[in-house]
Amino acid sequence: MSETTIERDRTAQRPNGIGADAPRKEDDRLLRGDGRFTDDVDPARALHMAVGRCPFPHARILAVDVSAASELEGVRQILVGADVARRSEPISVLRPVPGAPPLPFYALAQDVAVFEGQPIVSVVATSRAIAEDAVELIEIDYDPLPHVSDTIGALEPDAPVLHPGVLSSNLLATNPQGAGEPEERMAQADVVVEDRFHINRVTGLPMETRAIVAQWRPGARELTVHHSTQVPHLVRKQLAESLRMVEGEIRVIAGDVGGGFGLKLGVYPEDVLACLHAIDLRQPVKWVEDRLEHFRATTHARESVHDFRIGATADGRILAMTNTYTTDLGGLNSPFGSAQLSTIVFTGPYKVEDGYVERRVAITNKTPIGAYRGYGQPEVNFARERLIDRLARRVGKDPLELRRQNMLRPEDLPFRNPGGGLYDSGDYLATLELVVDAVDYDGLRRAGRGPRPDGRLVGVGLTSFVERTGYASAKFLANRGSQFGAHESVTLRANRSGGIDLYTGTPTFGQSSETAFAQVCASVIGIDFHAIRVHAGDTGATPLNTGAFASRTMIAAAGALKQASERLRDKALRIAAWRLERDGVEGLAIDGDVVRDPDDPGRSIALAEVFTAAIIGQGIPIGEEPGLEATAHFEPEEAAYAFGSAAAVVAVDPETGDFAIERFVMSHDCGVAVNPLLVEGQVQGALAQGFGAALSEDLTYDPDTGQLVNGTMLDYFVPTAADIPEVELHHTAVPSPVTTFGVRGVGEIGTIPPGAAIANAVCDALAGEGVELTALPVTPERVWRALQQARNRSETS
Amino acid sequence: MSDTVEITVTVNGTVHREQVSVREHAADFLRHTLGLTGTHVGCEQGVCGMCTVLLDGQAVKACLLLAPQLDGHEVETVESLAPGEELDPLQQAFKDAHALQCGFCTPGFLMTATALGREGRALSRDEIRDELAGVLCRCTGYEHIVTAVERYLAETPARERADV
Repeated sequence: MSETTIERDRTAQRPNGIGADAPRKEDDRLLRGDGRFTDDVDPARALHMAVGRCPFPHARILAVDVSAASELEGVRQILVGADVARRSEPISVLRPVPGAPPLPFYALAQDVAVFEGQPIVSVVATSRAIAEDAVELIEIDYDPLPHVSDTIGALEPDAPVLHPGVLSSNLLATNPQGAGEPEERMAQADVVVEDRFHINRVTGLPMETRAIVAQWRPGARELTVHHSTQVPHLVRKQLAESLRMVEGEIRVIAGDVGGGFGLKLGVYPEDVLACLHAIDLRQPVKWVEDRLEHFRATTHARESVHDFRIGATADGRILAMTNTYTTDLGGLNSPFGSAQLSTIVFTGPYKVEDGYVERRVAITNKTPIGAYRGYGQPEVNFARERLIDRLARRVGKDPLELRRQNMLRPEDLPFRNPGGGLYDSGDYLATLELVVDAVDYDGLRRAGRGPRPDGRLVGVGLTSFVERTGYASAKFLANRGSQFGAHESVTLRANRSGGIDLYTGTPTFGQSSETAFAQVCASVIGIDFHAIRVHAGDTGATPLNTGAFASRTMIAAAGALKQASERLRDKALRIAAWRLERDGVEGLAIDGDVVRDPDDPGRSIALAEVFTAAIIGQGIPIGEEPGLEATAHFEPEEAAYAFGSAAAVVAVDPETGDFAIERFVMSHDCGVAVNPLLVEGQVQGALAQGFGAALSEDLTYDPDTGQLVNGTMLDYFVPTAADIPEVELHHTAVPSPVTTFGVRGVGEIGTIPPGAAIANAVCDALAGEGVELTALPVTPERVWRALQQARNRSETS
Repeated sequence: MSDTVEITVTVNGTVHREQVSVREHAADFLRHTLGLTGTHVGCEQGVCGMCTVLLDGQAVKACLLLAPQLDGHEVETVESLAPGEELDPLQQAFKDAHALQCGFCTPGFLMTATALGREGRALSRDEIRDELAGVLCRCTGYEHIVTAVERYLAETPARERADV
């Protein structure tokens, strides 16, 4: 702890070092339109792929006739299911569902397709337009099968079993977790509140869709793949497995990536297809997903049903929590599958020692679910925080008082919660008090809920939450069968210009890792931030790593960056001392582009000279190895938990259900911020996705046809600049004791509070009517229906 | 009937005479024929705004135009903003305000705001939000984009902008 503090104090003084709002390294190329996204890669003689997809949610493929399509001028190759089964292996899962049998699937459906949008055939032609024309000419004879769209309905005894060869029902797995004696505590409770909460199916919708360019050099046995991914080294592993190749033959390059949010984690069927075509045709093959494909073939997220229960004493002390929840997997198991983190944070920031949580995974005929920013944490937060408010009303307390009463205090930490999470440190209540003060909670309470002159009812809603960031350890991941580690890696290499090349397998997709990594190096080494050049995302150049997801990059990378920087710095100083004819490195320090002599401030040696001496091995101390580079791998000892609170103030029209969010205040603690401006950007951005999921985004399947009814950009309502309420952000900064520099992850926390805070505010405004919302998104229609229901109830009772 | 047509179009001050497919949209033409890959494609139905360019000075969505419709017109893309070493004041405002993350939507916002700046109107924050609502962003939450455009409009006199 103390060492971390000292390190921070010493490094904070560096310009553009840790703690500074350093300008982003990524910005200039992106602002000039000179980014290099995958579709910007246009190799000569490139061919283009189009994919024919199943239009039904569940269908047997009886026959595929490609004869007319293959005669179309410009068509070069068509692959059908049997081709890929012969030539490739099923796509592997990176993060298996514990206890679940594998559900192997090939890049093209074999006999049966299990979701609308599943690839059935692929065509490569001289242009995308011709390839799409060819897809239209392919005759596919389908026998539509009974389908299941509803998450809970999938588990009913009469539901059609979707993977009959592997399972006898659509329940893929059940994962229980708990601690203490929750049922005994529930039995002792004076009050038990419980309900079923429905979380909507949404999608991260990165502005750049998925894309791949595959090139094969048969003589060299070299497959080069430009790919829009968050995890190039994991894509390389999965491609090698599916293509029956060795990893050394595959180079994956993630250039600039236009947003990921968890959707670009690993290999999708189209990646395998493009590579197979490129290998057969010996020409580059490009595929860029169009937006209609994206809505059906890129992973969705969040859909789940939570049966949450809280037991408490008559004065509101929480005795136990339980949550049995069912996640919707969709038709197949994507590389990450449905959310797993609803388990680990289900009790939130409250002092709950007795709890039980059970995750069930249901298979349906819908697009596969995958990771998305938050990965289970916004979902369970909605269920728990809605019930906390209801418990408060039941015991006659204000929701604020009930939260204060039950919240973990700093002295309670570290704390192992019943979901298995180990909260490292923090002052959770401080974040709640921050938002309560900022929003003037007491003033709002004094003003009352009565109608304003405009007829609207005002409500205020609170939520407090924790967020797991990073992974506990490789051991934790191994127990769950995960195919990746908890560490990160970095290589630093000095160059003769006096700069440092930084190599990382973490690609650039908006999270600003190029900038933040360089800030850490600048701090530790003392070199000018601008002299560090970041090379990201090319497996041919970067050390093997895990990748960017789970808010884990800086959690793990900070340690690798620190160690590599120290090693490179120390060697550079030894060489500089020798060249300055000093006995040791004592007092020597790198300062921008020179190493200064502490005894003679006017005397210095240029870094370019030191680095060149090392690189060519001339003029270095006897016994010192030539070369100046360092690679480090680092695994943090535990996951770090970020935390925060939020308050929403809404004004609801009790006739129409329309409501306006008049204020939204959030406080968060992401530990030590490497770059506070970037942290704010991450929180703002995640909040906007949280607002979308809370207010308008809702992928809807027609129960009769099983088809996605709003799978276009026009019909799926992501927030625009005009839809986001002005947000007021506050923060605290409690350093985490389990990470280097005390950082906590920051990328996802903003997705957590909007649903709970807004729904609680609407229900607070309508408390007089007895409205309790239990589903997302909170739309005016849903509020209106809840009002009608509540009024009907009170009329009949 | 031929499926290509010859067009003459001025893009960022350079006159191009090109044979284009009649079914190709303008964004694909700019990207893959002229190599101006700063104009991005996000939905091809005129919703997301990634492909926003200026057509005779007006912000338009290039995916809703066919390449042949560019014949005889003048197009400005994001590549025109900073011809030299220095960023344009709008680009600098975006950088200073941390108004971009993945950067995929950024050209769309820059071209929309460029057109807005040339109009020389004073705009409130809410009006800026409405003006920018034709371009989507999933990374930033818009706050910093609105701030960047607000500062740009406030700091650059209308006359000067018209001269650019």
